[in-house]
Amino acid sequence: MPNLKELKNRISSVKSTRKITSAMKMVAASKLRRAQELAESSRVYADSLSFILSSLAGNTKNSTDLPEILTGRENSKISLLIINSSDRGLCGGFNSNLFRNAKKWISDQQGQGKSVKIMTVGKKASSFYKKTDLDIVASFEDLNSNDRQIQVSEEIKNKIMELFENNEIDEVSILFNKFVSAISQEPTYQSLIPLSNEETSEDESDANNAIFEFEPDKNELLEYLVPRNFLTQIYRSVLESSASEHAARMTSMDNATRNAGDMIDRLTLTYNRTRQAFITKELIEIISGAEAV
Amino acid sequence: MINLKVVSPQKVIFEKEVEMAVLPGAEGDFAAMPNHSPFISSLRPGQMAIMSSNKVDESFFVSGGLVMLKEKVCEVLVDQIEPLSDVNSSNYQQSKTYQELEGNETALGTFEQVVNNPPYK
Repeated sequence: MPNLKELKNRISSVKSTRKITSAMKMVAASKLRRAQELAESSRVYADSLSFILSSLAGNTKNSTDLPEILTGRENSKISLLIINSSDRGLCGGFNSNLFRNAKKWISDQQGQGKSVKIMTVGKKASSFYKKTDLDIVASFEDLNSNDRQIQVSEEIKNKIMELFENNEIDEVSILFNKFVSAISQEPTYQSLIPLSNEETSEDESDANNAIFEFEPDKNELLEYLVPRNFLTQIYRSVLESSASEHAARMTSMDNATRNAGDMIDRLTLTYNRTRQAFITKELIEIISGAEAV
Repeated sequence: MINLKVVSPQKVIFEKEVEMAVLPGAEGDFAAMPNHSPFISSLRPGQMAIMSSNKVDESFFVSGGLVMLKEKVCEVLVDQIEPLSDVNSSNYQQSKTYQELEGNETALGTFEQVVNNPPYK
């Protein structure tokens, strides 16, 4: 028979766990709202920038005129993957989904005879990939404020430009959890080098309609635009990932709170039953004692 | 009237109908007015002035960026922007723009110049 005292302790510990998880859920919900607003308000800039870039690239019919950093190198040997994880845990399958996806991607790339380098964002990714034998070129942690997110995006941009120029990488992709809705996040790849085609083709018809004049000339504009575009895309993925993280945490903490409630109900039932059994046993003892006299 | 939309990487700063906007293009200042030919340019650090009937209504410092003009739309993608009504020669060193431009001597010099003596007044 279970011990009454033990059960009582168990119940109170589950109750305090429930308090923590429900508080975390509430915090995640409010952070999610902020992160979502940020992600949405930064979209205008990103959309305009990719429109300008695609009208520039679209205007240049001959793709050999475009710099390597836009079109990618012909014989690409080394791919860089930027993995956007979270700094903290307790957010369900957020990170493990991402890592599982990345593993597949990496073995795909290696199957094509390319070597893979990794850049990690968030503590979870850096501690996970430290244990593997992959080549980590840089790790970024503590993305806890918007200012820091901007700063890290800038650092990532500088790093990939530098690596590309030194021929240490030929391709760059970024992996992040795309925010679909509060209950669903989707690991998504976006190619930075070469510039992903989806984005260009989306606006292509529109961009080709208006014939723009460019000032200064295209090459100088591209020199300015390309790093800007990297920065914006990286920043956007960081924001999406942070919105997804909070959404994932909210759902998983909601589940945890509900599970804790169920557990408390079950434990309380057992507790009451056990207590009743003790009382009945004692009564039987008293009655049989009285009968014996 | 032309629709002027000023956007920073973080958010839309403002969007409004203006008669004319003067922008510091990479190869010289230009005025954005309705039915300008489609035009894309980068910006150098300088003053952005919103004007009506030859008078400056509002004035800003921009640290650089891009502008896209077509028909009745003028989209300005700025890196840093500071309304000049908020800063003067004594407090501009405390402004956010000044701190962000730290280390960029040319841009800081232009900022100082624009604050003290804006080309469009």
